[in-house]
Amino acid sequence: MENLHKLAAVLFVATATSRVDAHHSFAAEFDPDQPVLLRGVITKVEFMNPHSWIHIAVTKDDGTVENWEIEGGTPNTLFRKGINDETLPPGVEVIVDGYRSRDGSNRASGRDITFTDGRKLFLGGSAPPAE
Amino acid sequence: MNSIRAQWTDVACALIALAAPALALGQAAPLGRDYVAPRTPFGRPDLQGVWSNAVITPLERPAELGDKAFLDEEEVAAFERERVAATNRDRRSNNAAADVRNAYNDFWWDSGTNVVATRRTSLIIDPPDGRVPALTPAAQARLAARPAPGADGPEDTGLPTRCIHFGAAGPPMMPSAYNNNYQIVQTQDYVLIVNEMVHETRIIPLDGRPVPKGIRQWLGISRGHWDGDTLVVETTNFSDETSFRGSGPNLRLTESFRRVADDLLLYEFTVDDPESFTRPWTAQIPSVRVDDLMYEYACHEGNRGMIGILAGARAAEKEGED
Repeated sequence: MENLHKLAAVLFVATATSRVDAHHSFAAEFDPDQPVLLRGVITKVEFMNPHSWIHIAVTKDDGTVENWEIEGGTPNTLFRKGINDETLPPGVEVIVDGYRSRDGSNRASGRDITFTDGRKLFLGGSAPPAE
Repeated sequence: MNSIRAQWTDVACALIALAAPALALGQAAPLGRDYVAPRTPFGRPDLQGVWSNAVITPLERPAELGDKAFLDEEEVAAFERERVAATNRDRRSNNAAADVRNAYNDFWWDSGTNVVATRRTSLIIDPPDGRVPALTPAAQARLAARPAPGADGPEDTGLPTRCIHFGAAGPPMMPSAYNNNYQIVQTQDYVLIVNEMVHETRIIPLDGRPVPKGIRQWLGISRGHWDGDTLVVETTNFSDETSFRGSGPNLRLTESFRRVADDLLLYEFTVDDPESFTRPWTAQIPSVRVDDLMYEYACHEGNRGMIGILAGARAAEKEGED
């Protein structure tokens, strides 16, 4: 069994080093020094290529609202899982743990998007959680 | 996805049964030797349908594996299990730069969970060491002379970032992070291959017409013919900027497609480019039929990432001036 793991590790290194990135490098677009944690309500979902964008409205402590655009991946993989325009309607509240754009605008990578109860978006069914 | 997984299992079982005597000797068996593909109305093997090449077998065999060309069933299970767990993009990194590079959650990705059905340790089947042959000095010099990617303007960024050309879309067609699907449509005189990555479509004549001189294209110019039940496609006339693993514009790429089971298409390609490689080399990617639709990948229209990349570079410049 130990040999099996060694073999798997060797092969894994081979595939990991050739692992492909997203359509473009997020490192050029988003700033590792500006992590953001946003809780907001989805106002629009753009399932488009090469990358999808999820728009959220974030209500700040002073009551004002900031609009943010969150970058995801290709919608094609979601379509194959039965997820489309009709399964993530506006009004759902989500938490985005990502990185802000390097130019300081209200755009961020959707590094980790969850419902407010911690469930991953799009997994375990696409419908928003019952409130 | 479960249905795809089930098909993989069926195909793997069929292939292993076919190949078992040779596998025991560490050699490849002729796949689908006794299989007769269904025919089109015009009498050719019917290759039509949507095929997935989402496999996690590396292009090159790790040097540590030496002459081990095949895995056994236990080894396959261990590798697939560990690889899928370790590459799950939901895993976060303490290194913020690495975390940014991992982009987004796992549900956006679709790079496969299985090795090739033949259980080979590399996609490359020739040379026997399963590795890309050495580049020639001329190719090394050509690659070294390429300008490094920048962000002064869109044209400084890479071809995929500009939505112009994705290497995985081919030719040759390779597994990638997602969109690992291609569709074949046949007529008597043409074969059409649609690759979901950038929804490129190659319309390949089969009538033996010559390749025009003086024209170079991102995807080259392809001509096809039948060799028995195998569709052979030869492609030349690549653009100066098209490069596959270091190939140059005078690459002659030969692809072959042979249906070896109802649910399996054996795709192979040979890279013949003496200006770039010290010898020709061949890879094999068995592709599995999937009962699925193809989706468009209209990349340029929604490429707002480009705006973010350029805006980020301008912001960095401004910060440097302050």
